[in-house]
Amino acid sequence: MATHALPVSDAEYAEVRGHRLVGFLFFLVSDSILFCSFIFGYLYIRAASPGWPPPGVERPGLYLAAVNSIVLFGSGVTMHLAMEAWRHANRSRFTAFIIATIVLGLGFLSGQAYEYTHLHDTWAGSTFGASFFTLTGMHGFHVFIGVIFLITVLLQTRRGVYDQTRYFGLTAATLYWHFVDVIWVALFFLFYVY
Amino acid sequence: MSIAQLQAEASHAHIHPPPQGFIAKYVISFDHKVIAVQYFITSGLFFVLAGLLAELVRAQLMHAHNTLLSPQTFNEAYSIHGTAMVWLVIIPIMTGGFGNLAMPLQIGARDVAFPWLNMFSFWLFPPAGLLIFLSFLYGAPQAGWTEYPPVSLHTPGTALWCAGVFLIGVSSTITGINFMVTIIKMRCPGMTWTRMPLFTWATLVTAFLSAIATANLSAALAGLFIEKVFSVPFYDPANGGSPVLWQHVFWFYSHPAVYIMILPGFGIVSEVIPVFVRRPIFGYKAIAYSSVAIGLVSFMVWAHHMFTSGLSRWVQLPFMILTMAVAIPTGIKIFSWVATFWRGHVRLSTPLLFVIGFLSMFTFGGVTGVMLASVPADIHEHGTYFIVAHLHYVLVGGSVFTIFAGLYYWWPKMTGRLLDERLGKWHFWIAFLSFNATFLPMHWLGLLGMPRRVVYYDPQFEPTNMFVSISAFVLGASMLIFAYNAIRSAKYGKIAGPNPWGGRTLEWMTSSPPPYYNFAEIPIVLDGPYDYGKPLPYANISQDLATEPVA
Amino acid sequence: MDGSILLRIIAGAGALVVGFFAVKALYEEWPKTALEDQVTKIMMALLTLGCIIVLTVALGKAGHV
Repeated sequence: MATHALPVSDAEYAEVRGHRLVGFLFFLVSDSILFCSFIFGYLYIRAASPGWPPPGVERPGLYLAAVNSIVLFGSGVTMHLAMEAWRHANRSRFTAFIIATIVLGLGFLSGQAYEYTHLHDTWAGSTFGASFFTLTGMHGFHVFIGVIFLITVLLQTRRGVYDQTRYFGLTAATLYWHFVDVIWVALFFLFYVY
Repeated sequence: MSIAQLQAEASHAHIHPPPQGFIAKYVISFDHKVIAVQYFITSGLFFVLAGLLAELVRAQLMHAHNTLLSPQTFNEAYSIHGTAMVWLVIIPIMTGGFGNLAMPLQIGARDVAFPWLNMFSFWLFPPAGLLIFLSFLYGAPQAGWTEYPPVSLHTPGTALWCAGVFLIGVSSTITGINFMVTIIKMRCPGMTWTRMPLFTWATLVTAFLSAIATANLSAALAGLFIEKVFSVPFYDPANGGSPVLWQHVFWFYSHPAVYIMILPGFGIVSEVIPVFVRRPIFGYKAIAYSSVAIGLVSFMVWAHHMFTSGLSRWVQLPFMILTMAVAIPTGIKIFSWVATFWRGHVRLSTPLLFVIGFLSMFTFGGVTGVMLASVPADIHEHGTYFIVAHLHYVLVGGSVFTIFAGLYYWWPKMTGRLLDERLGKWHFWIAFLSFNATFLPMHWLGLLGMPRRVVYYDPQFEPTNMFVSISAFVLGASMLIFAYNAIRSAKYGKIAGPNPWGGRTLEWMTSSPPPYYNFAEIPIVLDGPYDYGKPLPYANISQDLATEPVA
Repeated sequence: MDGSILLRIIAGAGALVVGFFAVKALYEEWPKTALEDQVTKIMMALLTLGCIIVLTVALGKAGHV
């Protein structure tokens, strides 16, 4: 949104940036509540079921999911490093790390796709499938949007939209990516460990 | 802080050039005042449609075994009536309508924090309404606005209903975030939290509820949608799901939602009373903080809608106690409002009449609410006309009456013209009397055992139902008086000037209607807005607005 | 079985590496006080928690195989 027709003073930018940050954080809170609602549903159905997983349902592979999780968590670290590089005006390092983040994000999505296609259970096949595919699917969709966001931000940097003092789009992308990461911590625990 | 120091803190946002052309000015407008009008018009349309559905329901219920409507059509009628009134009328008017119209002006801002999102929020609204009404073509949902599965899974139109309500939920969430950021970050210099007008306090808490609670509705609806369309088991017990799960997630949103529907109305009452009795509001802090308390506790009472769903006693008990407790902050407000009248110079203009009507009827609805909070009482009254009576006392006697109070109050600010007082009084009295005639008897119907949402009923209830239906037709007709008044005011309404009522909040310190940039210079606030008798507590206001006229 | 041992090694080693960098980031960000920095710190802490969970799984001490 830095395509404002009139050049904006530093004081005005600082104001607007403050609004955008708070607004974006409220959005992340609201999104977390969406996930919490579905997680409640999963735990409720699970508590109400005589056994878990339901009879005949196999759990997805634990260790592949563990590796996939590290891929995603790793992308969180690379994103942080990208942000740090930007703040230290190191454009080439920034570009390298953001591309690494995108690649790892896509790697996570591929891992999920592999997991989905090798599961015997289906979305509508059982209450396990219902909660698992809905929650991880929603998360995967959020990761996909995150990858688009990151690619957009990368292209914006190439167009010179951000500079050393005005780069809220980057901050937002970083926060969003961390958010997606942290949701996965919860989901990995709830479906594979608990 | 000196005025010069406060001035330095004023927003550095530049005033953008005015929008040009019809589309930019009135269709894709980023101006909160234009967006407010768009919300009012769209909600007004849905109010008429939802009202007609109610009249259809009442027409069927004139006789115990009437053949006017088929059972299916009857069920669809009350279901979409409720759906539309909640999501397409009251919530949009309170938030998108009044919140947009008054709040930015009251805090001395030029617009909301995210004007594009504001516009986008509005434009989600007509498609959402369209999707909901489109469900009639395929068999609208028949399980009330609450659409409990598994029944709701058996109507084809449920998927469209889900999509429509989901869309309006997204609109509501975005508006909530927008308003919270606006109020937290964009108050003009000197406007500390305790100098903020009470309508703005109410809008802040409402925005918080909208942003936080609505996500749960989205989750519930998404589950219902994918169960309907893709047969994914969430709620249908035949597939291992739980209908009570729907109830939990749905009501976790829908209880805060009823506070979204009333808190802005409380804010309007807090604005109207001081102006029309010319006294400071009694208990400003009590009213402000009780709004926050209501907002927080509203998340802790949802299961009082589920007392007959098989919850265990140890779960029912805390919900019963908390539900009774949530009436206390509201009671504090009622007492404060009534106390404001003491030794005041009361002008019984139409806005104040609707407020007085609200005070009596909402209190009544609140009392029946506390009756229903008691588990044993609710087990008897759940699903009966007693509930219908309670909900309409708080939603019509409460929300709708405050909406009219707000419309009559802020109409001159929005349009530059006053509504006619005589027509306003006719509207009020006919609405007030017919409203009570419609809904008061329903308390007895419920206690005597008439269930709600039934197309045929026991003939012993017929005379009362006939009386109720006729009263309902009169109530509907009374709205035509307002519609006529509104249209008439465009040409024949008295020119309002900046401050026809002698108000002291910032929206009255600029012209009517305000210029697109609201204020020539950002105002500076030196004290709270309710101290009648003292000079206006503002600096930077244009001189000819700076004296408080006595209307 | 070989496949899962390999996966466990990768997961465990990865958890250690990623966890190390997450803790390092948390340590470096710790003095900053701006709102987005506070959020970043919370995120890094939770990321570290995620790595601990994965490490525990890789060591075979938790999780349903």
